[in-house]
Amino acid sequence: MGYASTIKVPFGPQHPAFKEPEYFLFEVEGDLVVNVTPRIGYAHKGIEKAFEQRNYNENIYLAERICGICSHAHATCYTQAIEEMLGIQIPPRARYIRTIIAELERLHSHSLWVGIAAHEVGYDTLFMYTWRDREVVMELLEALTGGRVTHAMNTIGGVRRDISADIIPKVKSGLDYFEKRTKEYLGILKTEPTFLKRTEGVGILKPEDAVGLCAVGPTLRASGIKNDVRADDPYAAYDEVPFNVVTLDGCDVLSRTLARGEEMLESIGIIRNALDHMPTGELRVRVPKVVPPAEVFSRVEAPRGELIHYAKSNGTAKPERYKVRSPTLANIPALCKTLLGVHLADIPIILAGIDPCFACMDRMVFVDTKANKKWDLTMDQLKQGVNK
Amino acid sequence: MDMGETEERLHRFLKEKVIEFKVPRERRIFVRIKKESFREVVEYLVNTLAFRHLSTITGVDLGKEIELLYHLAHNGAIELSLGLSIPKDNTCISTITDLIPGAVLYEREVHDLFGVKFEGHPDLSPLLLPEGWPQGVYPLRKEHSLDELRELMSKKWG
Repeated sequence: MGYASTIKVPFGPQHPAFKEPEYFLFEVEGDLVVNVTPRIGYAHKGIEKAFEQRNYNENIYLAERICGICSHAHATCYTQAIEEMLGIQIPPRARYIRTIIAELERLHSHSLWVGIAAHEVGYDTLFMYTWRDREVVMELLEALTGGRVTHAMNTIGGVRRDISADIIPKVKSGLDYFEKRTKEYLGILKTEPTFLKRTEGVGILKPEDAVGLCAVGPTLRASGIKNDVRADDPYAAYDEVPFNVVTLDGCDVLSRTLARGEEMLESIGIIRNALDHMPTGELRVRVPKVVPPAEVFSRVEAPRGELIHYAKSNGTAKPERYKVRSPTLANIPALCKTLLGVHLADIPIILAGIDPCFACMDRMVFVDTKANKKWDLTMDQLKQGVNK
Repeated sequence: MDMGETEERLHRFLKEKVIEFKVPRERRIFVRIKKESFREVVEYLVNTLAFRHLSTITGVDLGKEIELLYHLAHNGAIELSLGLSIPKDNTCISTITDLIPGAVLYEREVHDLFGVKFEGHPDLSPLLLPEGWPQGVYPLRKEHSLDELRELMSKKWG
């Protein structure tokens, strides 16, 4: 290229392109990225250590608060891990309810993401529309669980609330509306020239790189690799509810967008099917308080991809070790690869392309809003939150 | 390659290298091996049995040793956790970033939090811990209590 020098452009930890604090150092020649160095951990609060300080029941709440978007995915991954160590099977109805909430969560997460992707390429009209329609899903989640963000549906041994027959028509009509809108937005995304210009062929992740760099979720599937924990390693009721694993072979930001769009339609199908075929019966089984010494490897397909929990018990009321690996961390090496050689102006949409969730990745502990509603918490106040 | 074939081929290959082999349920295998065989076993798993996806690496404090668990997936379905222990006074182990480039951040994470040195890793600079974090304090090791870590943080960052 013949540029005399490489210029370093820092992104973050506070940056308009990020919704959360993280740091990427870009080295650019002209406006082409030649190197990128990620530095994560700005929201690291030592949640794995915190797991070791709490008993198994308290840890349900901790797990659910690892992430504010895929809270149900973490809680499912946690509870199924402990259930496996206890050697218990949850009732069939509970498996279906977990599946329904998980797919509603995927709908709200993916539609949130489509809005952000639209915003990153300057298409704020679509951002407004998708976020308006996402409210339909949020309201359904609230009606079903009592909470928009943390649903507290999971408990060790099953679920805490039923989905009663009288609410099912409301869920179905909400889904009908959401499906209609999603199809319309998918049509727009496939044909709108300004959106295509910003996403088609941008941020290429070749299939061999996606595999070698261990990418997960829609990021992996948009590079043509058909891996989905729900299909490959079924949990909850995914072995009984039919659905397609969406793959696309564009390997670019456009494919990552459309993959999520198509996945939303699949999720709607899963929810409808699960509502129609939900077995009757108990919601939960009683479980012993003490977990025998064991170890377990638990995984679920969170909206962003494969989520991993590893638990080791020692026969006491608290775990010996609890490990969490969120999908965003798995996608960072692939993200850094896709950023090489791109134009500076394309960085925000490519970064957004993996649907990064930094708090989840860094495993931030929640803050007790009852104790202090302010955001500018001191370190001590934060620690008190951790202590509880 | 299904579960039965995977188990059979593993047994045939591992022989005296194995310390523990258990299959808790369908699609889950836990294998613990001797440290000396680590590279050989990983190469076999990745190149021959096509366990190409590394889900993550878990560190576990066993007291005098650190246990490393490499969670590898075959075809998205079979999850094999490959375990080995290394003594705390010599926490060195070969990197696997040459075999699985996706291991790059997982090794750094374990380096940060458990003090395991991955020989041949391109860059083991801090990933999660803040700048100025004291050397030799690995927060997920059991010898550091939560109280001790809190005191350390409040002294340094208030």
